[in-house]
Amino acid sequence: MPLLAALLLIQHPLQRTIAIDERLAEDAHIRIGDRVVVSGAPNATMGDTVIVSAIVKRGADPAEIARSEYRVRMHLDQLQSLAGYGDRVDRFAVATRGPAATEKALAEINASAFGFEAHRSRDIAVETSKTFQVVSRFHKAIGFITIVASAIFLLCIMLLKVEERRRDIAALRLMGISRYTVVLSVVAEAALLALVGSALGIALSYIASTFINWYYQGVYRTPLYFSLITPPILTLAVVLSLVLGIGAGLLASLRLARTPPISLFGR
Amino acid sequence: MRFALAWSSLRRHTTRTLLATLGVAVAAAMLLDMVMMSTGMRESFRELLLSRGFQLRLAPKGTLPFDTDATIKNTSGILTILRTNPAITTVSPVLGGTIQIPRGNRVVTSSALGINPLVQGDYELLAGKDPLADDAIVGNDDFLKATGARIGDTLDIASGYDPELRTYAASRKMVLTGRVRFLYGAADQLATAMRLGTLQQLSGTEHANDASLFMIRIRNDSEVEGVRRWTERMIPGVSGISTATALVQVDQRLSYFRQLAVILGSVSLFVGFLLVTTLVTVSVNERIGEITVMRALGVSRSHIVQQIVMEATALMITGSIAGLGLGLATGHYLNAILSSFPGLPVAINFFLFQPSSAWTALGLLALSGIAAGVYPSFRAASLPIATTLRQDAIA
Repeated sequence: MPLLAALLLIQHPLQRTIAIDERLAEDAHIRIGDRVVVSGAPNATMGDTVIVSAIVKRGADPAEIARSEYRVRMHLDQLQSLAGYGDRVDRFAVATRGPAATEKALAEINASAFGFEAHRSRDIAVETSKTFQVVSRFHKAIGFITIVASAIFLLCIMLLKVEERRRDIAALRLMGISRYTVVLSVVAEAALLALVGSALGIALSYIASTFINWYYQGVYRTPLYFSLITPPILTLAVVLSLVLGIGAGLLASLRLARTPPISLFGR
Repeated sequence: MRFALAWSSLRRHTTRTLLATLGVAVAAAMLLDMVMMSTGMRESFRELLLSRGFQLRLAPKGTLPFDTDATIKNTSGILTILRTNPAITTVSPVLGGTIQIPRGNRVVTSSALGINPLVQGDYELLAGKDPLADDAIVGNDDFLKATGARIGDTLDIASGYDPELRTYAASRKMVLTGRVRFLYGAADQLATAMRLGTLQQLSGTEHANDASLFMIRIRNDSEVEGVRRWTERMIPGVSGISTATALVQVDQRLSYFRQLAVILGSVSLFVGFLLVTTLVTVSVNERIGEITVMRALGVSRSHIVQQIVMEATALMITGSIAGLGLGLATGHYLNAILSSFPGLPVAINFFLFQPSSAWTALGLLALSGIAAGVYPSFRAASLPIATTLRQDAIA
């Protein structure tokens, strides 16, 4: 049996394998088992022939979306050799048993390390996500402007809606219905409208969000989610809509309730 | 007469008119910002690329200038090849690197460009002299501030820091000869420039004849594409990037912002249109009796249509004018946010104001104002006079 294994090794010398990402596989029409030549420089005449042993799914890394880059995973020693990197690496990833162990390891490594420094993964994530912090701030600013515009729109609509009821309100007042009841009924109507509008808005936002994710995941070829509707966002939208709707209804109804019914009839 | 009637109709409901104007102003501001964003960043980048007249750039194959650490070998050989093309008037090779400057008990790290000072297109000299000598170096304000150096000072410049041995591969004394502003520099970036040969020496034997980029000036703009193809054919390890191809790459990378601008701009326009349509429709419904009386008195249909369209357009234009000022202020604020992108040249503006942007936004809003008045005005003008008067009297 060992002899057979040795013979097989002679017939098929150990070929290095690499893993490529699905984007590269699709664009270059590479399949598992294909032989490719990898080199450390463009148009190099020399290189290593390797077998593609795996096609890996791309991670949902926001840092990569704007770059149409391909990813190849290969054995460390082979990349070191190809890149002329010697026995060097860019970083070590260290797994610890928990937060306390992380702190201890960090302190010990930094106390004894010569030529390198240990960082928490969390700190590195903060440092490398500055681009997305900028995008997030931009989205928040745009969101604020949108909310202001929506608020004014909602106020206008509610004002008009209540103004349309001038004659109804005048009739109710002439029949002896109290100002309080009139205001309450208008506010209840406004709240119901705001609630129904919010429900429709939520449904619309789910459809829009699904479309946005489908479209941008296709454009950037990434599993990343571009639009996420979270409970706090829903709560903010509904609360804002209710507050604005009720506020506008209250303002308009109070104004109408204070006006003499005959004036409301336009007489 | 028509204008007076439209004006009095708007004044009748002051709160409603003010709210509508405010709504249109916010929509107009958003629309202007989005028009500025959709064209601004591209234009700003184009202006930056062409600011020194270099229409073509050569970068390591498959990369954009300074996008990776890759370099182009055999700089002198490439320069010889490029000089054989009569369409090329100037070639400026550039090498990028990192240098360390020990200052007391601390070390300042800065980016460095190796350039030919006679044909460079990377910086603007603010004070002092270009780095013409081998031991001369120029720096930007951030560099001067971080090192505390002044023009005329001699600095110890080192490179190739080895973290294992905590030593430098090379070091030399250099004289700070000038204060400069780097055209492609990012905010708060420490940057210096020196002669190409000096930085090549500092970068070690591996990079002794390397460049990161070649910037090429071509006699006629019409020859750029031809020269680009020629360079890629003659020098296999490089990608030729003309201003047009660079803009395509930028468009691809920033397509998200352009699409966002189109979507939000369309939504703003639609919201403004919807707001004015709703207000004018309600206003017309309230004045149906009044409009019918005017018709009965002999006022023509076109007069009624014009008056209502004028009312809608006036709302839109007043709101738009207020919105343009608001848009410039919000655009300035949004630009300040996006300008803090790490590594983005300070000179790039996402929200570049161009008169055409303002005219486009104003034109679109005026058109939507006219469109907003069309439906209610036609409805009002086509009402049967006798029936409407009777219904209004009963009501």
